[in-house]
Amino acid sequence: MPWRDRERASKAARAPLALLALALALAAVMLAASASGAVEIPLRALPGLLWGAPAGSAAQGGADALWRNVLIDIRLPRVAFAAVAGAALAVSGAAMQALFRNPLAEPGLIGISAGGALGAVSAIVLTSGGFWVLAPAAFAGSLLATFCAYVLGRRVPGVAGLLLAGIAINAVAGSMIGLFTFIANDAQLRDLTFWSMGSLAGANWKLLAFLAPWVLAMSWWLMRQWRVMNALLLGEREAQHLGYALKRVRARLVLACALIVGPLVAATGGIGFVGLVVPHLVRMTLGANHRWLLPACVIGGALALTLADWLSRVAVVPAELPIGLVTSLVGGPFFLWLLARGRRRF
Amino acid sequence: MLAAENLTLARGGARILDGVSLRLAPGEVVGLLGANGAGKSTLLAVLANELEPDAGAVVLDGEPLSKVAHRRQARRRAVLPQKPGLSFDLDVREVVGMGAYPFPELSPAQVERLVDDALARADVAHLKWRRYPELSGGEQQRVQFARVLVQCAAGRADGEPRYLLLDEPTASLDPRHQTDLLRVAAALAHGDGAGVLVILHDMNLAARWCDRLLLLAQGRQVAAGAPAEVLRPAHLRQAYGIEAHVIAHPLQAGRLLVLTD
Amino acid sequence: MKTWMAIALGWAMAACAHAASPERVVTLGGSVTEIVYRLGQEKKLVGDDLSSLYPEAATKLPRVGYYRAVPVEGVLALKPDLVLASEQAGPPEALKRLGEVGVRVVTLSDQPSVESLMDRIHGVAEALDAQAEGERLAASVAQDLERAEALPATRARAVLLVNRTGTPQGAGAGTAANEVLRLAGLENALAGQQGYKPVSAEAMGALAPDIIVITQTSLQATGGMEALLRLPGIASTPAAARRRVVVMDDLLILGMGPRLPQALTELKQEAARAMAR
Repeated sequence: MPWRDRERASKAARAPLALLALALALAAVMLAASASGAVEIPLRALPGLLWGAPAGSAAQGGADALWRNVLIDIRLPRVAFAAVAGAALAVSGAAMQALFRNPLAEPGLIGISAGGALGAVSAIVLTSGGFWVLAPAAFAGSLLATFCAYVLGRRVPGVAGLLLAGIAINAVAGSMIGLFTFIANDAQLRDLTFWSMGSLAGANWKLLAFLAPWVLAMSWWLMRQWRVMNALLLGEREAQHLGYALKRVRARLVLACALIVGPLVAATGGIGFVGLVVPHLVRMTLGANHRWLLPACVIGGALALTLADWLSRVAVVPAELPIGLVTSLVGGPFFLWLLARGRRRF
Repeated sequence: MLAAENLTLARGGARILDGVSLRLAPGEVVGLLGANGAGKSTLLAVLANELEPDAGAVVLDGEPLSKVAHRRQARRRAVLPQKPGLSFDLDVREVVGMGAYPFPELSPAQVERLVDDALARADVAHLKWRRYPELSGGEQQRVQFARVLVQCAAGRADGEPRYLLLDEPTASLDPRHQTDLLRVAAALAHGDGAGVLVILHDMNLAARWCDRLLLLAQGRQVAAGAPAEVLRPAHLRQAYGIEAHVIAHPLQAGRLLVLTD
Repeated sequence: MKTWMAIALGWAMAACAHAASPERVVTLGGSVTEIVYRLGQEKKLVGDDLSSLYPEAATKLPRVGYYRAVPVEGVLALKPDLVLASEQAGPPEALKRLGEVGVRVVTLSDQPSVESLMDRIHGVAEALDAQAEGERLAASVAQDLERAEALPATRARAVLLVNRTGTPQGAGAGTAANEVLRLAGLENALAGQQGYKPVSAEAMGALAPDIIVITQTSLQATGGMEALLRLPGIASTPAAARRRVVVMDDLLILGMGPRLPQALTELKQEAARAMAR
């Protein structure tokens, strides 16, 4: 039947087309976000700045050199960082939702964020050190917390164990953070608050050179797990009947998420809701097939966080809104709306 | 051959399986009967490598089941659960396509062919592009059946034995589809040479479609063998606690009909 | 001939110095901003941070955010040629980046001590090319401090309370409050504690301070004078019994800025009045 063939063709092509559209939107947003910010750089000057010959410092070259510095040293790495971080958060959120078979899941459930926060807090309070002490401490904290949650969680079968252990780890980390908060002095307290609101301001090319390939590689690995994540939708028993060794799968997924989110928590602080909301939005439009869901989350997450960062940079010039604040302000009400709609679609 | 020898399994002090043996050979349909709690699902779970027996051995084509890797087991044996999975937003086509996951070497075209074939056999071809959560319970059950059909047929070399375990597959189906499903299962066994194990509550369906039966009560074997040997009033009384009459089926040659009070 | 050259050289240097005088200044840190105003250089200010709350005119300027999380592009948007940063400002990478982009960044001492205050005054004056005003301000502050110190001190035991989060906290060692109490001739009963900590009812009773010093906003946050005097621990102190509570403006008493002599004078007078009750 001709209409059926058309329906078939349109459905099959829908997902790849959507991915293409998302990718184009991402490119457009990244371009626009690079072109706008606190410092006004006229559009016509952009191509020259990007591809023109390098000039001296601002003192010598005037406005032109300043624009180049702002564009290449501050804004471009920041936009790239936002995209990379958004992709990582969204794809790991999708993986957690598949593993826990729960649309409310995100990496924070298993202690990644709490561990990272604890590492950062202890670094701030015990050493008052800068970024290069804070970041490794946060990363170590997130890995340690996830490891603890995983090892403890094995005592109870299925993901229930992981979930319970994650709750316990979150509670323990939370109370230890409270302890550190108590002994912190004023300046440290304020640093803590700001760290927890999240920030992409630490972006520079050196950081990106390591973070971007890492995130992309881990995301690539996660995307290749689309079959087992689909199988998990049927249930853990059924996934096993389809040939997947659940214990190994669980360990690998948890490890991948910890490795992808850990450095991010270290570099950015707490950025919430992206891992929760982006997979939902994608699922609502493209369905739950992870073959398309995962790549769409990578692109969609990059898009969402780039937009949020753009907003944070231009909303209250010359100040900047903490990015975690922006994502919560948008993500929070959206999340409530999702709950109000009910679990009609997963 | 998928065989279980002398299985014993206890949970919380109660013996769920007590010295039960079962042999499933390629090319036959074996029916598993018994009252609720008799141990049928547990036996199937052991054969599906979901549970480890406390005593006894399970062998798959000559190898101890626990030694065979998960992936290899999935390439030999498919399991259809009692209740379909929870709602998730996939197409029917995508759900059925999951049967090919243990065979990642297949091309998308090959998988598509297998899917279409299975959809036709399960009589759900017209639902191919529908969303799984939108279907009725019976339709979802048939879609899951199509999935395990794919798993049974995928990448199959000539003469390679495949096993299909069905846990009360007829539970949410109407009478016509009950018969259709079992007809397909029987064709799979007799035509394609698969070994099919099916748990049934309806003794007449068992009598009609199964080559051999195993009747369980309280974790122990009451009777095993051809339907004529197993479906006897004494056995049925012991297993179900009912009074039954077994007569030759008036319409199907060589088959039995069980009548209950 | 040599005199001629000397004069010419002097003129040239003066001209250069004048050419280098900053016109667009961003301050990071309330303690720095206040000094800029006291030096009369506020016309050069194009932006400050969230902690710059005094004088009130400072709150009307464009604000770049919190001084320990300075956004580089935000500061650059104000096109500054000088950034005066408290040593507490950060993150260090951001300040470094500003320097790399060609903005002059001057870091100023910002510790709770009189020496730091003097250093800060001189540093700001130097950076703003207003050395004369700087000397004058430093001298006047020093003179006022002497006068304040000469006032009779009560030598009473005191605690300074701050309420920012809902629970009152007491100031221990290492805080500006501690320094102010000491300079005002009061004995900080909480000197054994480090930093700000919530007041423990039992400890407060044991410490038995004669005077309670509290900031205006903290008193409001606690619910007013009666609520404060009823707090467990506080209620049993000699200070509460005789209603010896001194209320002072937050920025004045905790800022440790050029108004320090004024703060000390007021504190000493209030303390004396309280002890007389």
